[in-house]
Amino acid sequence: MFLSRRLTGKYASLWVSLLAILMTLAAASILLLTMGKNPLVAFRSFLQGCGMIPKENYGGGSGMLTDLLDFLNYLAPLILASLAFITAFKAGLFNIGIAGQMLLAGFTATVLIGYNKGLSAVVAKPLVLLIGLAVGGMTGALIGWLKYRFNIHEVVSTIMLNYIISYLTGFFINNNYVDMMTRNSKVCSPDSRLTLTNVMIGDLKCKIPLGLIIAILIALLVSFLFRKTVLGFEIKAVGQNRKCSEYTGIRVNRTILLSMGFSGAIAGLAGVAYYLGYTNTIIPKTLPGMGYDSISVALLGSGAPIGSIFAAIVVSIFQQGANYMSSTVGVAKEIASLITGILLLFASCGNYMKYKAARKIQLAADLRGTEGKEAKAS
Amino acid sequence: MGDYIVEMRHITKRFPGIIANDDVSLEIRKGEVYALLGENGAGKSTLMSILFGTYEPDAGEILVRGQKVHFHSSTDAAACGIGMVHQHFKLVEPFTIAENIVLGVEPEEKKLGILPWVNMKKANRQISELSREYGLEVNPTDRIGEVPVSVRQRVEILKMLYRGAEIMIFDEPTAVLTPQEIEFLLQIIDNLRRDGKTIILITHKIAEIKRIADRCAILRQGKLIDVRDVADASAQELADLMVGRQVSFTQEKTAPKYGEPVLEVQHLTVKNEHKFDVVKDVSFTVRSGEIFAIAGVSGNGQGEIADAIAGLAKIADGRVILNGKEINDFSVRERCLGGISYIPEDRQETGTIPDMTLQENLSLREYFREPFSRKGILKPDPFRDYAEKLIGKYDIRCAQGPDTVLRSMSGGNQQKAIVGREIEEGSRLIIFVQPTRGLDIGAIENIHRQILEERERGAAILLISLELDEIMNLADTIGVLYRGEILKIDSADRMTTQEVGRYMMGVKEA
Repeated sequence: MFLSRRLTGKYASLWVSLLAILMTLAAASILLLTMGKNPLVAFRSFLQGCGMIPKENYGGGSGMLTDLLDFLNYLAPLILASLAFITAFKAGLFNIGIAGQMLLAGFTATVLIGYNKGLSAVVAKPLVLLIGLAVGGMTGALIGWLKYRFNIHEVVSTIMLNYIISYLTGFFINNNYVDMMTRNSKVCSPDSRLTLTNVMIGDLKCKIPLGLIIAILIALLVSFLFRKTVLGFEIKAVGQNRKCSEYTGIRVNRTILLSMGFSGAIAGLAGVAYYLGYTNTIIPKTLPGMGYDSISVALLGSGAPIGSIFAAIVVSIFQQGANYMSSTVGVAKEIASLITGILLLFASCGNYMKYKAARKIQLAADLRGTEGKEAKAS
Repeated sequence: MGDYIVEMRHITKRFPGIIANDDVSLEIRKGEVYALLGENGAGKSTLMSILFGTYEPDAGEILVRGQKVHFHSSTDAAACGIGMVHQHFKLVEPFTIAENIVLGVEPEEKKLGILPWVNMKKANRQISELSREYGLEVNPTDRIGEVPVSVRQRVEILKMLYRGAEIMIFDEPTAVLTPQEIEFLLQIIDNLRRDGKTIILITHKIAEIKRIADRCAILRQGKLIDVRDVADASAQELADLMVGRQVSFTQEKTAPKYGEPVLEVQHLTVKNEHKFDVVKDVSFTVRSGEIFAIAGVSGNGQGEIADAIAGLAKIADGRVILNGKEINDFSVRERCLGGISYIPEDRQETGTIPDMTLQENLSLREYFREPFSRKGILKPDPFRDYAEKLIGKYDIRCAQGPDTVLRSMSGGNQQKAIVGREIEEGSRLIIFVQPTRGLDIGAIENIHRQILEERERGAAILLISLELDEIMNLADTIGVLYRGEILKIDSADRMTTQEVGRYMMGVKEA
């Protein structure tokens, strides 16, 4: 009953997310137990790997702060990617092409700015952001245009574009930009990167993720767009009822194009924050898994821009802490993706949970009602 | 007890937030026409869905032919000889009539002893015989998608007969029919009764009950109010029982005061996606202070005329003139701002955004301009104030005031919200399409009064309705639409219900 009240109250979405996380932890525990591992030790090592709990020992030049900053470095593009998903989702569009948009934006920025040694940091970094916005935005707008001009469903066009982008960029990297040692693309110049490397804080060698500032700014901006602006209202209207939006006089096609463009632009930012911040290199013919994780994050945050920051933290803990967990507990790090998948499953049951809770409360109220009547009658 | 074919005892059914049936008990005799009368939301359809096995009751029991039964699905009910014609037909459009009828109980044979094969020729023959026997003429090989609504309904009835149903439930069967078709259907029901079938008729039209039913149960807010022998009860009595208070059937209407033309439609042609002319060369004029009603059977191009005027459908040919200015190339918003209000046919799909709040829905015609927003930024206070004003003025019942999610409100209150929103604009032209569809008597009264008030104010009103009574009560001028063409335009006081009904069937001159 306690839970039912919470799930129908004002903060229902928050409670749904918390419940989803709890259920995921329970499911993951069962999984770990069947492998003969102690789930509590495993969860602790996830947190240790993210610099939230101190490890037993650290190597030279690293410490809890280094781990935490690494974690934030991963977190930044994930927040951006989930914001990209949310922006399209509000218009009723399912942008599963975030991975492709990230890759194309990251690749373009790498080639144009990352390999251009002549630019100073003050010029290069803003240019990287601009290229991310422009390339992602144009890809998104293309998907929106295909949708309203030729009625191609965005899920189909984004999946296809994902492949096209993946192979196209892979082809150019292998032809022109490959690093013979790593088989990945050559690394970008430090001046172009959105992460400041080798910053000494005390005796710790740290990375400062500039992308995180951008992620939080964009989260505030997206939140403002949907809460306060006419455009945001129109995007939501189109997302919930396209026919009524048309009847109201909203230019539906323009709204679809814009929201898909915005979504792509934010995905582009995620792409540059990922490839020119977190990884610093591109693995050819490989889409970033983060593009898909962003969907889990957005759902876990129940489509709220600020909520997605917190949801991204949860998912990042598993993804980023997996390496350390794997080395200490001895479970393959792919379990992180497994847990993210379970999380997505539970988070998408949110409406069902709310429905069940509402029904339970109603039944209880009805029962009380009839009891009351009987009491009066007797 | 032996003569009761169906007994429902103490049936209770709850849905979240509502008790649809509250301790309802019915006994139905074999071979009678038993009517269930009640307003929308009174629980008639739920009760019959329980009998038909679609829902399971929370409490109570059902006896069929004296035997206690537990239906878990409609298949169980069908096995007991219960059939139902739903309000929205359950037919597969690309299939033929015969294929639809045998679907699920196909006359299966084994070719070479093993290969299963459906003998459609045999099925066609059986269905032809069946249809002649009951006077339900259909051509078994026609495709459902190509036959009119009245034929589809006959197919639904044949479907029940083919399955050997003895107890037949009709859910609002006349809602989609013309007066002549209604008469025909009632005759069929009469034939079925003479053949020993038991008929349960769900309706809120009292005239039909008086015409055909033997007994009538009245439901109100989920409770059984009374069971009456129809022969002993007057129409007024039944109406009062249904609504729970005195009702008046007709509205006082003042003499018309026509002004200058507001809407002129000249040679309008609209095509559908198959390039077929759904509206053909339609011309009419609506003057200020006039209610111009378009009568016609559903699907004859009414919706398309309204959509073309409002800017939602493309005009293939012809001109639409508003206040003397051609608006063919105007966007939807330009037309709204130019003085068109539009109450669309489908209130949940077109008229509202059900998952948004009431205040957002009430502001859909205003949100983009001051004071609701300034320079693209929304101002929350005007939304709330405007919603509160409309809630009071149009008596919109909502649990959480302006923050009520629209979907959670009843259909009648959703319609009040749409009507309020559109009337509040003070437009010179107001288009009403089926404004009272699915509403109960109280709500209908209310909306009719508002339409007449707007006429009084001097608005030009285009009323499109399938309810002939509504048109005869309200219209100053009537245009009858048949297959996209206007067959007849005349002043309402020069036309009788029968005449209009004939034109609706496509008969040009009687």
